[in-house]
Amino acid sequence: MNLEPTAIRHLYVHIPFCPKVCPYCSFYKEASDRNKTQAFLDAVLLELDTFGPDQVQPHTIFFGGGTPSALSTRQLSYLINGLRDRLDLSALREWTLEMNPATVSEEKAELLLSLGVNRISMGVQAWQSDLLVRLGRVHSAAQALRSYQILRRAGFKRINLDLIFGIPGQTPAQWQETLLQTINLGPEHISAYCLTYEEDTEFFRQLAIGQLSQNEFQDADLFELTMDTLIRHGYSQYEISNYAQPGEECSHNLAYWSGNDYLGLGPSAFSTVSGRRWQNVANTSRYVEQIERDGNAREFSESLSSETKLSEKIVFGLRMNRGIAEELVMPWSANIKDLESAGYLRREAGTISLSRSGRMVADAIGELFV
Amino acid sequence: MGRLLTRNFCIIAHIDHGKTTLSDRLLESTGTIAEREKQDQLLDSMDLERERGITIKAHPVTMNYSAKDGQTYRLNLLDTPGHVDFSYEVSRSLAACEGAILVVDAAQGVEAQTVANVHLALKQGLTIVPVINKIDLPNADIPTVRKQLEEILAIPADEAILASAKTGLGIEEILEAIVARIPAPPVQTDEKLRNLIFDSVFDIYRGVVAYSRVFSGAMAPGQAVRLMSTGKSYEVKEVGIFTPKPLAQETLQEGDVGYFIANIKSTAEIKIGDTLTEQRNPAPEPLPGFQEIHPMVFSGIYPINTADFEHLKTAMGKLQINDSAFVYQAENSVALGYGFRCGFLGLLHMEIVQERLRREFDMDIIATYPSVVYEVAQTNGEKVEVDNPAHLPDPSVIAEIREPVVECFVMCPNENIGDMMQLILEKRGEVQNTESLDTRRVMLTAVMPLNEILVDFNDKIKSLTHGYGSMDYEYAGYRAADLVKLDMLVNSEPVDAFSSIVHRDKAEGRGRLLAAKLKEVIPQQLFQVSIQAAIGGRIIARENVSALRKNVTAKCYGGDITRKRKLLEKQKEGKKRMKAIGKVNIPQEAFIEVLKTS
Ligand SMILES: Nc1nc2c(ncn2[C@@H]2O[C@H](COP(=O)(O)OP(=O)(O)OP(=O)(O)O)[C@@H](O)[C@H]2O)c(=O)[nH]1
Ligand SMILES: C[S@@+](CC[C@H](N)C(=O)[O-])C[C@H]1O[C@@H](n2cnc3c(N)ncnc32)[C@H](O)[C@@H]1O
Ligand code: SF4
Ligand SMILES: [Mg+2]
Repeated sequence: MNLEPTAIRHLYVHIPFCPKVCPYCSFYKEASDRNKTQAFLDAVLLELDTFGPDQVQPHTIFFGGGTPSALSTRQLSYLINGLRDRLDLSALREWTLEMNPATVSEEKAELLLSLGVNRISMGVQAWQSDLLVRLGRVHSAAQALRSYQILRRAGFKRINLDLIFGIPGQTPAQWQETLLQTINLGPEHISAYCLTYEEDTEFFRQLAIGQLSQNEFQDADLFELTMDTLIRHGYSQYEISNYAQPGEECSHNLAYWSGNDYLGLGPSAFSTVSGRRWQNVANTSRYVEQIERDGNAREFSESLSSETKLSEKIVFGLRMNRGIAEELVMPWSANIKDLESAGYLRREAGTISLSRSGRMVADAIGELFV
Repeated sequence: MGRLLTRNFCIIAHIDHGKTTLSDRLLESTGTIAEREKQDQLLDSMDLERERGITIKAHPVTMNYSAKDGQTYRLNLLDTPGHVDFSYEVSRSLAACEGAILVVDAAQGVEAQTVANVHLALKQGLTIVPVINKIDLPNADIPTVRKQLEEILAIPADEAILASAKTGLGIEEILEAIVARIPAPPVQTDEKLRNLIFDSVFDIYRGVVAYSRVFSGAMAPGQAVRLMSTGKSYEVKEVGIFTPKPLAQETLQEGDVGYFIANIKSTAEIKIGDTLTEQRNPAPEPLPGFQEIHPMVFSGIYPINTADFEHLKTAMGKLQINDSAFVYQAENSVALGYGFRCGFLGLLHMEIVQERLRREFDMDIIATYPSVVYEVAQTNGEKVEVDNPAHLPDPSVIAEIREPVVECFVMCPNENIGDMMQLILEKRGEVQNTESLDTRRVMLTAVMPLNEILVDFNDKIKSLTHGYGSMDYEYAGYRAADLVKLDMLVNSEPVDAFSSIVHRDKAEGRGRLLAAKLKEVIPQQLFQVSIQAAIGGRIIARENVSALRKNVTAKCYGGDITRKRKLLEKQKEGKKRMKAIGKVNIPQEAFIEVLKTS
């Protein structure tokens, strides 16, 4: 089959099941329910069917969630084989699947690898058991370590570990320990997120009533510590929260941040295709129903004006260390000058990027361009 | 109903002694309002009046009362505001009456405003009916209040009626006293129409509704009338009384208080205090009228969003229609852009106008630090009036600055004299007289700069005396003073809205305080913000708001780029409620804090 120049190159599939719901997380997910799963898998394939094989020719696929690894090996192979039957994967370079350490098995790892998944992203968050309890995680530190080793042994060459800092009760020493222990394992990629109190989460509620508190000064310190430590150990910070060994950046995420088109399947998934962005309904039963009935389950949809596209390109582009082309920010030249003289921006060979101090205040800077 | 059966009276008192509540009881007792219409402080009809529990505008209302003598009287009551800012409303109401009910709080006793209002009433030759109110309070002290009436006001103690506007006690007695003690409107020398306009409101359906008292002659619809100050003539469309809602009547007779509607287009055409007479058979001379009122305090009001300038202008126009004491004029500020210089009677009046703009007109506004009107004598012999600190001429051309002063009457318990003297001194006042009012209290008379008593003088008196002190003041002209302009600079740019004219001795302290306050309320931003206080070119205080250290969310939500964008948009929207001065976003609270700092 020929590659279509206008085809969608990036495919996301949202798996909305988790072994247990974490109190800080606002991703759309529900506790796994065996009765719903098969209908859900069929609906995803049905949704994909509404796009012709020449419309979707992925370079990257990302199975995210939720917890894709919460699916059984049988369900995973059903879904992945379904996808393989429908898509031309000749140009595929990267296929990531998110896993929770509690749902990793040798059998699953081997199956995924055999079906073409070549990158795993696993949520470790911390290596201290008190912090894992604080986060309401279902796995222990030891189990996370075992799962990592299983993945390596199975043959995964590209692994990301997710970490969180700014956890209530977390000391700078603990964070330092988490970073070093992670570095020791040598994953190709590390995502280090500052805990965000998302609306509609248990943590947010507790923060609002004063049961939890946020220490922004410490968060800033921890962020600096993160950059120092990971960079010193050979990881480059290619985005605010993402660090990779050379050549190990996540192409799929880079595609989002660069303003490329992508198709998202599954409940709550976003898609952006030729100037339109839409989101599927964030409810598995309704998603299944609507797909069965109408072939789509779009709930929110907007068309992106050229100003919005430009804003997004700048805001998300500046979060990446490679920055953006200088000509994009021409209309804001006065702002750019101020930011540059305050040391927030670097200008080099026609590109603009954030300095380290700029990365610390990326939202305040981004705000200037929306 | 006839002159002999009419009684016109107002209710006067110190603030909060219960005038409006007493009015409620009188209205109920005379059956003017039915049971189902009852609500507390019924005559306080504005939202703001109800919320703050104060009367801002005088309210006329007509009641019919069947007295013990078997006759039915028409009683015209005028409830008045107690706050100093609105004392002109009291004088106007007094002019429409033959008597005044003087309400004194049984627990608080005679206070400064009580004295001031009694003097006003006596000057107008009104009969005073003293009422000791709130006798239901556990700390009511009737014997003391009686003594105060005699000793401070020379009112015979046995004339006082004991009442509780809360429980309804004494209401009957008050009504009987109104009939028996307050004289009927006097007979006039001729039958020519003399109608005193003491207030007016604008009704969008009916135009100008003028509140008036007929001193002689009569008014009826169809009559051709003339305003004596302008000579303009009109045709009367309707006359009536307030019950408290307007109720049309066939005529208004000599001695009546009510309203008239003529083809008057705007309240600006009417001068409050003017006399209306008949076109064909005019009175030879107008009634005495009122002293004109002048705004005493000025402040700039600016839209936060520059695009709202026209809306603000319209809103101010609408407010002014029913508040002739409020004046405004377009002005331009370097920091704030286009806005208005506004004049008020006092700080309460200022707050009320600002609040109404925010609430009734939904305007996001910034108000600058209030200023009195200074007289500046220049070295070239010219004299200029300055109501905006930003317009103070350069010190090199100033020969002398004069500031308005007031004669201030402070009443306080004996044991607070020392503290009070100290406070007056701090406020640059000079005590001229100390007079014992009775065995427990003194009245201090002091000449004080108006500027110094505006913001917190009254509050300080209250806290020094645990609520037992009170004050009143009268304007007393201008006096030279050693004043300087204090500027506040943000990133080295003077923010004119923060400028104030202060006494040299106080400038440094205030400068330091303001700088510290601004540091507190200006949020961290991308760039460091420097705050300086300066007199002339000399920096006397400085503070820095350091640049933001961290403002970045970690998670990028996969494809949910819309959400992140919207969060940033929201963050930006939040800043729109701040005033951008140069690169610095200054929140509204900063302007309010500057107001509060003295
Ligand atoms: N206990 C008691 N409280 C009273 C009595 N009369 C009035 N009050 C209370 O005193 C407060 C002030 O009453 P108002 O009637 O608003 O006083 P006012 O004199 O009209 O006040 P201004 O218009 O602001 O000058 C209110 O909280 C009333 O409920 C009374 O006889 N007994
Ligand atoms: C979909 S989960 C990854 C896979 C799997 N569900 C898990 O939790 O192990 C995505 C990652 O987002 C991060 N995350 C989720 N909620 C967060 C929050 N409120 N603040 C910061 N990071 C968060 C966690 O590091 C989590 O691993
Ligand atoms: S963090 Fe992962 S496992 Fe926890 S609720 Fe979110 S998606 Fe599920
Ligand atoms: Mg009142």
